[in-house]
Amino acid sequence: MFFQLGWRNIWRNRRRTLVILTAVVIGVWSMIFLSSLMRGVADQFVSNGIKTLTGHIQVHHTGYREDPVVENSIKNPAGVEAVLTAVLPPEAQWAPRVRVNAVASNARHSTGITMVGIDPSREAGVSFIGEAITEGRYLKSDDPYGIVVGKALVKKFETKVGRKLVLMSQDTEGETASRAFRIVGVYRAEMQATEKQFAFVSMPAAQQMLNLSHGISEVAVLLAEHGQAMQVANTLRAELSADEYEVNTWQELLPMGSAIMKIYDWFIFIWFLVVFIAMGFGIVNTTLMAVFERVREFGLLKALGMKPWWIVKEVLIESFCLLILGMVIGNAAGFVSVLAISRTGIDLSALAAGMEYWGMSRVIYPHILGQDVMMANLVVFILGLVVSLYPAIKASRFTPVEALAHT
Amino acid sequence: MARRACLILGLLSFLFLGAGTELKAQDAQAIVQAGFDYWRGKASVATVEMVIHRPDWNRPMTIKAWTKGQSESIFFVIAPSKDKGNGTLKRGKEMWTYNPKVNRVIKVPPSMMSQSWMGSDFSNDDLAKSDSILDDYTHTLVGTETHEGKKVYVIKSMPKPTAPVVWGMQQLKIREDHILLQEEFYDEDLELVKAMTGSQIQMMGGKLFPTVWRMQKADVEDEYTELTYLELEFKDDLPDNLFTLTNLRNPRQ
Repeated sequence: MFFQLGWRNIWRNRRRTLVILTAVVIGVWSMIFLSSLMRGVADQFVSNGIKTLTGHIQVHHTGYREDPVVENSIKNPAGVEAVLTAVLPPEAQWAPRVRVNAVASNARHSTGITMVGIDPSREAGVSFIGEAITEGRYLKSDDPYGIVVGKALVKKFETKVGRKLVLMSQDTEGETASRAFRIVGVYRAEMQATEKQFAFVSMPAAQQMLNLSHGISEVAVLLAEHGQAMQVANTLRAELSADEYEVNTWQELLPMGSAIMKIYDWFIFIWFLVVFIAMGFGIVNTTLMAVFERVREFGLLKALGMKPWWIVKEVLIESFCLLILGMVIGNAAGFVSVLAISRTGIDLSALAAGMEYWGMSRVIYPHILGQDVMMANLVVFILGLVVSLYPAIKASRFTPVEALAHT
Repeated sequence: MARRACLILGLLSFLFLGAGTELKAQDAQAIVQAGFDYWRGKASVATVEMVIHRPDWNRPMTIKAWTKGQSESIFFVIAPSKDKGNGTLKRGKEMWTYNPKVNRVIKVPPSMMSQSWMGSDFSNDDLAKSDSILDDYTHTLVGTETHEGKKVYVIKSMPKPTAPVVWGMQQLKIREDHILLQEEFYDEDLELVKAMTGSQIQMMGGKLFPTVWRMQKADVEDEYTELTYLELEFKDDLPDNLFTLTNLRNPRQ
């Protein structure tokens, strides 16, 4: 009976109901849509970071993270490799790397870069480089003089595939090591900063240049899921001697990434509150109006013997119907619009320079998280009912005599 | 019979031609080597005025320099007094600089190699790798010119494929009396990047020597660095302890 009453009551003033319904729909839609965008940004930030040579777990020689120089490299990687093969879950991939700061120069330009000596086939499974080549070719495992550089660097250096690039760094003896490479391939990355920073050469070339024999700087591990990192890292820590090796997860390697995720959690929550406060005033206002319009009616109902509690219940059910209807439409609209842009993403290449400053990608893909949708709906539903309590209680307090005298 | 004669003639001419080009490459190598030997001498002591010229200003500086053999040199700024005592030591491919204001000897790291040396148009690399022209390039004689009535060899120097040099080509002009007149630096498109030109050939330190050297980048008009030799003396030898870090910090001369 209450439902019937409430449902019919809200449609007595069709226009007002539609207006407040629109407010609820827009509120819910914006919560879902914007939170999915923010999640998308945060997600991409982290997965970019992980793909850009971080991986889920990294193993270094102790001290390398504080001072990434050749002296702190893993001199004999065979031990680590054996442990990795034994301990890692079967779907995990890992790749050894030599990574040093170097200076790249050609006749007209010169800039600081990070030279990464890779095992091309292993590296392709771990980081973005495997499928990022847009011109020329990928490295071969023993390319003595081949180098793969980013598009942005090629542009800055006014060079192209086939041209020479001289890399200089310091070898294990502290002497200047330089080597001439030829650009064999050009890669594109999500961010220009990445393209300018990393230059890839084959592992033997890097080791020979730096006088490293078989040493490597790090091993990066990519797991099937972000969440496994902690647990796998712990097993690795147990197997590897702590004096010699450091094992870090992506949360430690990308502190900015984990910070951004946490900030966005709160950001989304605050956004929900802000939207709700705007919406809440609308709801209170409308319900209050609907109540004051019907003072005589409530007086009559009371005179006929309706208990105050029943009146509260009736008014709350009106709000309930409004909220549920608004939420259903709002959720639907949210999912539809997220679905609509999920394939193409939102292209922000026009603002790429500004976005990159924050480490964001050129294209944002929304990402709907169950917990956000739940949270949005719960906030709207519970707080919506709570604010409706005020007009409802107001309605239940009318005394029949006064109410019936009300004109 | 005629055919056989032809064949022999052909073979002979082939031999000669082959020998000819072989000789040419060796020649070019020898010319370059002789030119650089002549330029540097066994050892030398010189006072040089360096002027960094820019459209709006000139910065003069007087430098005292000692060189020994192909790869050892040390220089100090002796004027203006603001820069006095700044020194650079070069041994092999390594370089150190000393700044009296901070009282520190700094080894020039790879990252600074391509930066300019004391604000001039010379880069640290130009100094550190000045011998690379002899080791890292193959030279060919491409032509001759005349200069003040003497023959000048124009030599094209291409870097060896794996040599760690940034230039795509260098072109040298060396006069038949071993005087280096010009060194041009090209990129891989064979476009001129910068050129060092010698002029004002005079008797100095007992031999003819270009006393003014100008280093100029190709794409700017009114910017260059000019070195003018004020004094120059060639010696047979200089003591080894001159080219040491201690001496860089506390110059004895």
